[in-house]
Amino acid sequence: MNKVMSNKLVIALYVLPALLLVGVLIFIPLILSGYYGLMEWDGIGAMKFIGLENYSNAIRDLKFWDSAWHSLLLAIFSTLSLVIYLAISMILASKIKGSDLLRKIYLIPMLLSSVAIAQLWIKVFNPTNGMLNSILMSLGVDSPPAWLAEPKFVLFAIFVPILWQYAGFYILIYYAALKNIPGSLIEAARIDGASAFQIAYKIKLPLIMGVVKVTIVLAIVGSLKYFDLIYVMTGGGPNGASEVMASYMYKLAFASNDFGYGSAIGFLLLVITLIVTVIIRKLTATKEEIQY
Amino acid sequence: MGRLGYAFLYLCLGIIALFQVFPIVWLFLFSLKDNSEIFSGSPFALPTEFRWENYQKVWEGGIGVYFFNSVWITGLAIILTVLLASMATFAITRMNWKLNKFVLGLFMVGLMIPIHSALIPLFNMFLNVNLIDNPLSIVITYTAYNLPITMMILLGFYYTLPREIEEAAIIDGCSINRLFFRIILPMTAPVISTTVIINMIYNWNEFVFVNTFISSDEYKTLTVGIQNFIGQYMTDWGAIGATLIISIIPILLAFIFFSNKVVEGISSSAVKG
Amino acid sequence: MRNKKAITSLVAIFALLLFAAGCSGSDDESSASGSDDAKTIKFMHLWPEGSSKDHYEIVNEIIASFEEENPDVKVDLEVLSNEQYKDKLKVLSSSDQLPDVGMTWPAGFLEPYVDGNMFTPLNDILEDGLQDQFVSGTTEAYQVDGKTYGLPLELNIATVFYNKKIFEENNVEAPKTYEELKNVISTLKDNGVAPIALGNKDRWTGSLWYMYLADRIGGADVLNSAIDRSGSFEDPALTEAAAKVQELVDMGAFIKGFNGLADQEAKSMFMNGQAAMYLIATWDLPNYTTNEDVPQEFRDSVGYFNFPTVGGNGDMTSFVGGPGVGLFVSEDSEVKEEAKAFVKYFAEQWGEKSVTQAGVIPATKVNSEEVELPDLYLDVLNDLNSASNITLFADVQMSPDVAQVHLDQIQALFGGEVSPEEFTKKHEEALASEE
Repeated sequence: MNKVMSNKLVIALYVLPALLLVGVLIFIPLILSGYYGLMEWDGIGAMKFIGLENYSNAIRDLKFWDSAWHSLLLAIFSTLSLVIYLAISMILASKIKGSDLLRKIYLIPMLLSSVAIAQLWIKVFNPTNGMLNSILMSLGVDSPPAWLAEPKFVLFAIFVPILWQYAGFYILIYYAALKNIPGSLIEAARIDGASAFQIAYKIKLPLIMGVVKVTIVLAIVGSLKYFDLIYVMTGGGPNGASEVMASYMYKLAFASNDFGYGSAIGFLLLVITLIVTVIIRKLTATKEEIQY
Repeated sequence: MGRLGYAFLYLCLGIIALFQVFPIVWLFLFSLKDNSEIFSGSPFALPTEFRWENYQKVWEGGIGVYFFNSVWITGLAIILTVLLASMATFAITRMNWKLNKFVLGLFMVGLMIPIHSALIPLFNMFLNVNLIDNPLSIVITYTAYNLPITMMILLGFYYTLPREIEEAAIIDGCSINRLFFRIILPMTAPVISTTVIINMIYNWNEFVFVNTFISSDEYKTLTVGIQNFIGQYMTDWGAIGATLIISIIPILLAFIFFSNKVVEGISSSAVKG
Repeated sequence: MRNKKAITSLVAIFALLLFAAGCSGSDDESSASGSDDAKTIKFMHLWPEGSSKDHYEIVNEIIASFEEENPDVKVDLEVLSNEQYKDKLKVLSSSDQLPDVGMTWPAGFLEPYVDGNMFTPLNDILEDGLQDQFVSGTTEAYQVDGKTYGLPLELNIATVFYNKKIFEENNVEAPKTYEELKNVISTLKDNGVAPIALGNKDRWTGSLWYMYLADRIGGADVLNSAIDRSGSFEDPALTEAAAKVQELVDMGAFIKGFNGLADQEAKSMFMNGQAAMYLIATWDLPNYTTNEDVPQEFRDSVGYFNFPTVGGNGDMTSFVGGPGVGLFVSEDSEVKEEAKAFVKYFAEQWGEKSVTQAGVIPATKVNSEEVELPDLYLDVLNDLNSASNITLFADVQMSPDVAQVHLDQIQALFGGEVSPEEFTKKHEEALASEE
């Protein structure tokens, strides 16, 4: 058994194709972007080596830290919202009537491209005739805020569509995980007189804990490098109030013609993500399973 | 739970369901309006006049080729991604070797790259191997960039596979390839369906790579069809809506198909297990 | 056995990939080597058929007639939308792969490409008479160190468009001074009409308001000299202009939530009669004249006025505006001579076609007596001819880096997050750091 399962040739054959693709198409660009970070380069003319200047500038760049904080907030909210997705998945995966149809309906928004989602939510948030403010005004709120224009609201306003956009993604994963639990285990617990809530908490949750941990990492990593809706809906504004690391990096590299500095920010984004991920893995690791 | 409890539960579920169906309805109405209605009227108001010409405009914009490209590029990239990811995940989680944790870590780091920092280096690399304006560059880029996330999703499921199955198979004299292709892959069908859905959505809606690496019209994909309606000073939102509706139909169908597989696969593998 | 099978199949997959790659490689070469008899000019522009049908078709007409006159030259098109175009140009230039002919913006956008030796000077084709066809001041915006690197295609000035019907209903008239403008605003506000549509998410829109106030308060040169460093951004006039912006914001001159709205959202409010005024450049003229998709009733009710004077200062014939996109020829082009001939031909053909077929005000002179145009166009053309000054859009004038600071600060100023003094100080710092 052990001999067969440690056949080096087979391992190489199974891992190398994927590793090669990721190595060439992700790691080389990654290293190159770290390298461009050492340059003063507008992306057009000649490069000039300036050592760690871009990196030391970035560390003193308040705008960068603001954007990093915003990204981190998004990561926290994304992680917290996993609880809701998990609860919904539990309901959908239990044997209630119509769960199959409901599940499909719940996942529909996930099929939409960011272009469509951005347009929809721009209309929801429109200060004068948007859906949200129309509802608020009919409830008697005199002058509801212009959600995307006010620095104190914009970040949280824009989190809503982002979290909503990804709901389907996590529900899909949780659903598959829950359906993977052998029915016999749940049946046994039910015979023992466990309530639906107890079954969910004491049996289902521990069994899919591995998947839950993966989704936590995915939520954090995905949030820290998030770009799409923020760029389309607010462009990081007003005046940086909704800027995140990826949008800041993009602006520097492509709008300010500061490709060297942008690359340095991109590389720092990776470093920060790596650090946060390692911390999270340490925090969520249990004794018997420090696997991924 | 009492009857009242169930009624309340269904009420909540129903409200959420309405909320989730809205976007499609909205998008459909959106696709039949012109700019002034889109921006001024209520988002759910019926168009004063159904502008089917938006669809005609989109069709005349040569969407057929884009559509075909989207289908085969998405499809090929999905097959490559899911196959390679399954193989790598299998070797990492089920086979015994020293560097497996390290290699897994490498794949995880691959999750973390922001695509805009990769754009210029990637373009340079493809230029050197003459892959610019070649759809293959898109296929392998999609594959590489979706591999890490696909593996992460597979991972959680591979850990839950019972060891006994492998042991029994090996003792029966089954080779590893047979074990993987005949036993493990079918057993993971539900999660494979999940990753297929996710890959499909990502590839189908992607446009940054296509725009950068492809310049000939004959290789561009549907998302580029949207760009066709974005002007320097004016954007034709109705036509964009129509493009979005057209482009959502195939993935909606594929989604329903694979979404059923998530369940079917489980029940069939449960029989075996 | 099984292992071998798996190996062979994997090898086959990779071989296939390599083969496909190799194939395409040889394809490219053969098309390049086939260029003995026909030369191909790669041309990238940003007028997609879907959104800019008129522009797109004019380009195709010009290409068709050029190819007819030059049978050994072929023009190969790639069309992208505005944002994608800018991004792709950036990526292409980083790998030295610019198209033979493409579009550029003047001044701040162009300079890095000139510094990096990416664009070729076009003085030689301008010399034999072409220069005289351009409105004076337009090609200059594409000059670096006395050489011209782009042939401008459009010329725009910003003016305040207003809804005459709303003005009549509220008994107000087009203002000639800042005080009158404030009166108009407060009257409209009292009557529950949103005075000014502004989509400041895009930021350059707010910049127009600031630039005009600066021009009226400090004269035509104050902003230019602050940017070219012969003056300072901490000039009192520039601070006062910032204060005036905030005064307008505080009196509720702009639509609610302007800092979160895109220009197009603001525009549609104006076009639906939900706001009375809208400061935009003349590229929008077709919407108010010839565009059949816009109701006739609305088009008839649109007028425009030049930005009012402020406190008795300022010259109402001084405008904010400038040339828009222009054509460049790549320095490394293998068909440079053909490309130059093409841009020359293009610029010559573009003028009349663009104004009559697409409603563009071209950078080449238009003989308004020979072409038939809507009245609003004739008025604008008259204004252009008698303009005492055109100040180039600030974000175009500045280097890309400083332009981002300016645009962010504009949003902060309009949002009341910075004081006028901080606003000018930030600009001065950014400009000084680039000296």
